Amino acid sequence: MMSQDPNKTQPEAPDTFQMDMERDDINVRDVHGAILREKDDPRDGYEPIPLWMVSIFMALVFWGGAYLAFFSGGFQADVFDPSQVAWGAGAGGAEKAAPDPMVVGKKLFTANCVACHQATGQGVAGQFPPLAGSEWVVGSDWHGDNHLVKLVLHGLQGPVQVEGTTYNGAMPPWKQLKDEQIAMILTYIRNEWGNSAPPITAEQVAKIREETASQTEPFTQAQLKAIPAVHFGGSAESAPPADGTDAPPEGGEPPADAPAATGTPTGV
Amino acid sequence: MNRMPVIVVGIFLTFLSSWIGLVAYPYLNLGRFTPVTDPDSGEVFPPPMSGLAVAGQRVYAASGCVYCHSQQVRQVGYGSDLERGWGSRPTVARDFMRENPVFLGTMRTGPDLANIGARQPSAMWQHQHLYQPSVVSPGSIMPSYRYLYRLQKIEGQRSANAIDLLPPDAAPDGYEVVPTHEAEALVAYLLSLNRNYPLPEAPESSQ
Amino acid sequence: MSATLTMKPEATAEAEARAKVERAEIDASTRLPVVLFYGSAVFWLLVGTLFALLASFKMNAPTFLDQWGWLTYGRVRPAHLNAVAYGWASSAAIGTGLWLMARLCRAPLRHSTLLIGAAIFWNLGVLLGTFGILSGDGRSIEWLEFPNYASGMLFVAYGLIAVWAVIMFRFRQPGHVYVSQWYLLAAFLWFPWLYSTANLLLNFQPIQGGAQGAVNWWYGHNALGLWFTPIGLATAYYLIPKVLGRPIHSYYLSILGFWSLALFYSWNGMHHLIGGPFPAWMISASVVASVMMFIPVVTTAINHHMTVRGNFQALKWSPTLRFTVFGAMCYTLSSVQGIFMAIPSLNVVTHFTHYTVGHAHLGLYAFFTMIMFGAMYYILPRVVGWEWPSARLIRWHFWLTAVGIGMMVVVLSIGGILQGLALLDPGVTFMVTLEYTKPWLFLRSVSGILLTAGHIVFAVSFTMLLLRVGVRKTEPTLFGSDQGRKPERLTV
Repeated sequence: MMSQDPNKTQPEAPDTFQMDMERDDINVRDVHGAILREKDDPRDGYEPIPLWMVSIFMALVFWGGAYLAFFSGGFQADVFDPSQVAWGAGAGGAEKAAPDPMVVGKKLFTANCVACHQATGQGVAGQFPPLAGSEWVVGSDWHGDNHLVKLVLHGLQGPVQVEGTTYNGAMPPWKQLKDEQIAMILTYIRNEWGNSAPPITAEQVAKIREETASQTEPFTQAQLKAIPAVHFGGSAESAPPADGTDAPPEGGEPPADAPAATGTPTGV
Repeated sequence: MNRMPVIVVGIFLTFLSSWIGLVAYPYLNLGRFTPVTDPDSGEVFPPPMSGLAVAGQRVYAASGCVYCHSQQVRQVGYGSDLERGWGSRPTVARDFMRENPVFLGTMRTGPDLANIGARQPSAMWQHQHLYQPSVVSPGSIMPSYRYLYRLQKIEGQRSANAIDLLPPDAAPDGYEVVPTHEAEALVAYLLSLNRNYPLPEAPESSQ
Repeated sequence: MSATLTMKPEATAEAEARAKVERAEIDASTRLPVVLFYGSAVFWLLVGTLFALLASFKMNAPTFLDQWGWLTYGRVRPAHLNAVAYGWASSAAIGTGLWLMARLCRAPLRHSTLLIGAAIFWNLGVLLGTFGILSGDGRSIEWLEFPNYASGMLFVAYGLIAVWAVIMFRFRQPGHVYVSQWYLLAAFLWFPWLYSTANLLLNFQPIQGGAQGAVNWWYGHNALGLWFTPIGLATAYYLIPKVLGRPIHSYYLSILGFWSLALFYSWNGMHHLIGGPFPAWMISASVVASVMMFIPVVTTAINHHMTVRGNFQALKWSPTLRFTVFGAMCYTLSSVQGIFMAIPSLNVVTHFTHYTVGHAHLGLYAFFTMIMFGAMYYILPRVVGWEWPSARLIRWHFWLTAVGIGMMVVVLSIGGILQGLALLDPGVTFMVTLEYTKPWLFLRSVSGILLTAGHIVFAVSFTMLLLRVGVRKTEPTLFGSDQGRKPERLTV
């Protein structure tokens, strides 16, 4: 079958190509058997484009234009959210309701805290203590609201007992957050995962921030325990249970501002 | 279509359109940012990077971190980036004005690092994690970067920057593991990754 | 076939004879550059495959070879990508592109010895670049990791090649310009523009970070869309009708397919950054352009399918056709998949997952690489003057690579979707999203072993051909010819 091809065409070839005589096609056939048997170079057919195809393509183009109109933020260089329809009106600018700490606090919590304490508030066994049901968070036992704010502002290091388990990690200070932000986070964690405790306000955080301005290192549990518990909700619990080694409470009566602990160097 | 000029001009024009839209436009509109000064605090956002962090950026590039870690918090409605706590707001172009090269990334074999400096601010944690990733986060398939650390004999006192290895890893008695300059730089860069500051074009979801 | 021949007037038979001598001359003129580029392509295919295996194993066993910075995952992976993209795929594309251009312009490749310089420069560039990545000079800009000393060399080499191709087109013999030639000309003009712009703005004179991502993905996607894709399509447009001896279905579809690809593909890049830190309109423009890819893809698919229709039995015999049609089908598949992946509501699942990796392999391997294998099976016997030594090796090559890549795409897609759905749910901890992928990553390594075996078989076959092992054959090496089966229609 293959041999038909060259046999048919060969006789004519030498007459028409004098100049190719040196490159004799016997030689060509030897070296380029593949070429001799190969078919014509491709040609074009001329079938028309079907109408259904044209219709679908037109519909697609229409869709594309509509999509661009709705999801392009008015073709502005500073609009990043595609769902923001920004034709004409300036970005944002609407009146804002007072922020709900359970909503905003949750966002801040997920942005800053979940890496260790997890979205479930359960922490990581053996590494990071839980917040759900933690006496530190809701302020039961000897733990006061002031302790909670202090350890968030300045961090906590060394062994701590939470829900009967001892953890030995290091919580970094969070004083870079604004007072309102810390207040929202704390209000949130005190009322999530079954926790229930009064909210903490930005003013209370601001006050403690001011009092502990000279604190340079994270607190330890022993240090905090030495500070009388204060409950912002009003009901003040009494001093921590006498624990032998712990420093005695300085002032028995706890008004809203506990004087202790400022500037106490950490001994670890 | 048998004439070369028609084909060549068409080839040129179609490509030119995307060159204008996806190269020239971003160059003019996203390539000439200036930092924003916060009127309340006087702070500058995005904050300048320390020299060590810039050196760390090169280590980040050389180590190919970008092949598993992205650095972008997507817009609301695009995945759970915000809910996972990877940032307090979506990232915008100005956030990356000081980055070169920029590591936006296309894979999340590991978590996003756009704000890792805020999420894990402890340098010791970062060093431990780079040295023994599967010990610090069990189940991780991140390779160890212990080639960025040096085992050395303790001369007199233990070095201040020695790494506290977690069990089962431990330096032999009388030895300590210290970060090389590259590891110090990489951690400085990681700790500098914090894009939770406010920008006018990126309304913070908290305020 | 004999029927069509006898129906031809005498004059056509003469012209055909003239065409055959002409083809022999053209093939001889392209021999050196084509064999050089194909040879280096096969070398880099093996190197790139080795890096790929290593990277895949490292995901299964993170401690495997982790004591050296040179072999850390973050360097082996870009070494793999660049070795296969610039070493294998580009070299194969250049070899195929030059040969096709010469054939279709009916003009011999003049001064082809100068192209040897280009080949040496290109290989040196890939070598230095890969070495640079492993030694820590990589830039971690996807698709552009090569340090400047390597990318500069690649650009010089490529410039020389592009000039050659364009000059060849300029001095073509008068007559009809075939669709493959449009794609070839476009690819040879687009790529230097693309490569120089991206390297200049990202590596040589880096622009601010806020704009870099856009340029990065404008390049990254167009390297596939406006360099590999046109060369792959040009090859398919040539080989399918050529082997079957049938005209391509419709010239009008070819035109529509070409121009819609040129316009829409070039705008696709930002769909790698959906939800990312770019103005909404840029992302939306890329989403729309990606969906518009439906037009060129459907057009090309129908054009190819209607050409092959009624001749599918030829796939049983012709290695060239089997690889090429497999590739052309996977072009449709991967493009349609890409369109869906660009739609934001689906993109939130697949973005940042292994699904994207599977998609990339469907495009660059199942489509482009398979078509390049098909082209090599067609072109090499012509330029070397020796038939492929063993049909059995070709058969092993086909099944190992086809099954390997099929398995890889399937397992990465499943793993990627599981990973993506888990990532979407903030209640699922991150470590769990990783756990979902682990079994699929293991299967990916298995598929990688199949591909590696296929590449080794091909490399052996390729070496035997170059060394002219065996006896001189006049018949083409077809599937089944070693099993004593006679094809009912001889196709090459």
